[in-house]
Amino acid sequence: MRSTVYTEWTKLRTVPSSAWLLIGTVVSTVALGSLITASVNTDFCPSPVECFEDTPKLSLTGVYLGQLTVVVLAVLAMTNEYGTRMIQTTLSLAPRRYRVLSAKAIVVTAVVLVAATVGVLGSLLVGRLILPRNGFTPLHGYPPLSLGDGPTLRAAAGTVLYFGLIALLSLGVGAIVRDTAGAITTVVSLLYVLPIVAQFVPDPDVRKFLLEYAPMSAGLTIQVTVGVDLLPMRPWAGIGVLACWASAAMIAGFALFRYRDA
Amino acid sequence: MEATIEVNGLRKRYGRTVAVDGLSFTVQPGQVTGFVGPNGAGKSTTMRVILGLDAPDEGTALVGGQPYRMLRVPLCHVGALLDAGAIHPGRRARDHLLWMAHSNGIATARINEVIEMVGLTSAARRRAGGYSLGMRQRLGIAGALLGDPPVLMFDEPVNGLDPEGIRWIRGLLRSLAAEGRAVLVSSHLMSELQDTADHLVVIGRGRLIADTTVAALVAAASGDRVVLRTAHRTEAMTALASAGATVAATDREAVTVTGLPAERIAAVLGERGLSFSELAAHRATLEEAYMELTRDAVEFNSPTVRAEANNE
Amino acid sequence: MSDRFGHLVRAEWTKFRSVRRWVLGLLIAIGLTVVLSTLFASVGGTDANSAPAVADRFHFVHQPMTGDGSVVARVSGQEPSHDWAKAGVMIKQSTASGSPYAAILVTPRNGVRFQADFRTDIGGSGRTAPLWLKLTRSGTTITGYESADGTTWTEVGSVSLSLPQTVEAGMFVASPEIVEIQRQFGGTSIGGRPTLGRATFDNASVSGGEPAKWQHEDIGASMFTSDETGATESGGTFTVSGSGEIIRLQQGDDDLIFNSFTGVVFGLMAVIVVAVLFITSEFKRGMIRTTFAASPRRGRVLVAKALVIGLVTFVAGLAATAGAFLLSQPQFRANGYRPPAYPYVHLFDGVVMRAVVGGALFLALLAVLSLGIGAILRRSAGAIALLIAIFIVPQILFGGLPLNVALWVGRVTPVAGLAIMQTTKRWDTAIDPWPGLGVLAGYAALAMGVAIWQVRRRDA
Repeated sequence: MRSTVYTEWTKLRTVPSSAWLLIGTVVSTVALGSLITASVNTDFCPSPVECFEDTPKLSLTGVYLGQLTVVVLAVLAMTNEYGTRMIQTTLSLAPRRYRVLSAKAIVVTAVVLVAATVGVLGSLLVGRLILPRNGFTPLHGYPPLSLGDGPTLRAAAGTVLYFGLIALLSLGVGAIVRDTAGAITTVVSLLYVLPIVAQFVPDPDVRKFLLEYAPMSAGLTIQVTVGVDLLPMRPWAGIGVLACWASAAMIAGFALFRYRDA
Repeated sequence: MEATIEVNGLRKRYGRTVAVDGLSFTVQPGQVTGFVGPNGAGKSTTMRVILGLDAPDEGTALVGGQPYRMLRVPLCHVGALLDAGAIHPGRRARDHLLWMAHSNGIATARINEVIEMVGLTSAARRRAGGYSLGMRQRLGIAGALLGDPPVLMFDEPVNGLDPEGIRWIRGLLRSLAAEGRAVLVSSHLMSELQDTADHLVVIGRGRLIADTTVAALVAAASGDRVVLRTAHRTEAMTALASAGATVAATDREAVTVTGLPAERIAAVLGERGLSFSELAAHRATLEEAYMELTRDAVEFNSPTVRAEANNE
Repeated sequence: MSDRFGHLVRAEWTKFRSVRRWVLGLLIAIGLTVVLSTLFASVGGTDANSAPAVADRFHFVHQPMTGDGSVVARVSGQEPSHDWAKAGVMIKQSTASGSPYAAILVTPRNGVRFQADFRTDIGGSGRTAPLWLKLTRSGTTITGYESADGTTWTEVGSVSLSLPQTVEAGMFVASPEIVEIQRQFGGTSIGGRPTLGRATFDNASVSGGEPAKWQHEDIGASMFTSDETGATESGGTFTVSGSGEIIRLQQGDDDLIFNSFTGVVFGLMAVIVVAVLFITSEFKRGMIRTTFAASPRRGRVLVAKALVIGLVTFVAGLAATAGAFLLSQPQFRANGYRPPAYPYVHLFDGVVMRAVVGGALFLALLAVLSLGIGAILRRSAGAIALLIAIFIVPQILFGGLPLNVALWVGRVTPVAGLAIMQTTKRWDTAIDPWPGLGVLAGYAALAMGVAIWQVRRRDA
């Protein structure tokens, strides 16, 4: 197993796109987070105190963009092998397929977690610098962002976890779909399009279910620090829902990878 | 249009790697020119430059006296098979040829002709994704023949073909040349070209090693060696050495003699009363000649060899 | 020359139609657009037709007037509570809200207006208070005048109104709501905040019929308490405070034409994928070499490719938008979107045609942009992800953004192209239709320009 992990690590490391995608994750997460944070101030609030702005969540908005590169990275880890028929070499080197997919999952998740940690910490740091200038001052009830604050720490750690689970979800879909464009479209539809389409489902129960249990909306409840009581589910339950999505994709991926011809 | 390819002082580098280094040669009409060199010698790069796909850093590559990029209906001037895998797997073979025909305004009736020529008639309506390597190779050749061009270039055309296919392509190359076309065929195996090529351009590490006819190359490699087979090896060697020849034992009964013509050897042995079972002028194979040439190239230019291999 | 370009276009068309997945992809784009648009149209509804047709709220200081006569007053001062705050004289059938009226009035920023019956609105001079205003009634004709000094009168407009013999005449003050954007809990809401107008009048008189005592009251329900609205008189000077608006309400501001195409947002994903693959698949398999060997003028190849993917997508887009429109409208009607608030619209109405054809143009330009980005990046994964980041992520984030930032994004990014399908202008309108499409066209042209420059420069 160790050698398979090492093999997958070498494969990932030696493709230049991996490094670029991970840098892209960090940059896009921090950049979008800073832009959005910088664009929000207390001007339109009834009063700064009555803004009830969720500043940790606001600073971490970049996840909406940053996860895209994670999707691409994780999908490519699987589909690239089919695109170049390298899968045949891979499987002749390591015939026990579950090991190959497990090793990929370990390696991809590990590098994504590293990049996500950098991106999340960067976003919080930028938020800490920008927010007070936009009126979110301690005086108005917004202490500087700090990991010492329980909910903020949960939002930050949870967002890192969210990135990791998105990677697993994408890897699983990549193993199922096997085609780059198809897999990326599938994951993106699941993340971004499902919640939008769900709003228009006529049956209210189905609509509520889809809106709450869509992978992105459920997973990102982990970022909420204001009005947690109003959430349809607890933050940790939300990320648990995403974990279920990721597991389902990985299990299906394992099964298909195991029983399908390469 | 003249059916020639003229490559003049061609130089092409990728980053710090020199792929082609001052290469010049001409491909004449009416014959098959073999373009030989080890993997990474710069054959494919040269062909890509000839086709205007890569821009040379120095030098020119002309087809019928014109740079490729000046050609308005290039498929009717040059047909090329570069990479047999370069087909969209979801497209039928016939449609692949159809878009190529459209791009140069070639009558679509020609498509059936070339499909028949390469023997793909029964598979033409299948999607290329299900093709074997040999079938892809044939489809690529069909594409090259589409414009009925006077100049043809094939990069490793026998790759993936079965023995019957190899025989077929050799015949095809010969007949194309017999029609007066200039045919350039690359290969990293000289043996593939032995019975096909009239002329050879041998390159190693981007440089020209030989530009000659097959006959001349074989003759040069054969030298004036004579193979002698005799039961009295030791005596024969002593006698011939004292007559001024260089003698080398090749096995228990055989000796290679250099420096004396066969008639002289027979006379010397006759004088000593030494009998022999065989006395023959050695004829080198093309492969041996090629190995000799490229071995030199490997020895003299080794620093660039690794980098070049990456390019192919 | 042109026939050679025709060859290239034909070759690219053959390439496109011979790959089943791409044709299927565009069919999926059509299907997604039509089905989701219809689905979205079937949800929600409107009560616009049962909502009041007019707003008629103000503070009125009045006395009865019988037969022909006139009402005159000098507006000596007006507080700028709103650009459209109104102070003036009015003749009104009764004090019932919504009853017929005619009025001449002055506003802080929009000059003198003669208005009647929620329909007539004639602009006078650009003067502000102080000034004299007069209305005369002669038979069914009511005429409004303004004057700087009370002696030289200028007619502003007249209207024919059938009113009873006895009507109410006098001074009035109104001041509309201010549209206010409010941010709370990370979301933006939009609402109206009432404003209180105040003006002073003197030299007020009503001629015709018996002189009577001035009475005053709020017409319609005021948003303010009776302490705040009202009128006081002291030495012939009236100070009147009032709030509200006298106007025909626009019934229903939903853009039913734009809302017919909500599915386009999802159809465009399929368009992006197909257009990107149309070019990146050539790079992936080295087929680009065959292409460029067959047609060495690479810029023209790319232009031919753009033309083919653009035209094909346009045709598919037309089927998608026309289908979405035709299937969505009956759904809207079933949900209460009916005349008079929502007049029926037909496919061949000018504005509908612009939206339907424009929507197809939007998808076509999107395809060209995708092709350009695909040619620059040469990788399907990167190109698709980038385009989705551009077109889908903003849709998700719009809700959480401050309105001005959201509008800015809708103006300067390629998403602006969606504006071509909108047919009304509202507070959340980012950009006008054609300029919006122009923005997208600009990005598409830029991407194609860079792509052509690159394929010429790079080795294939």
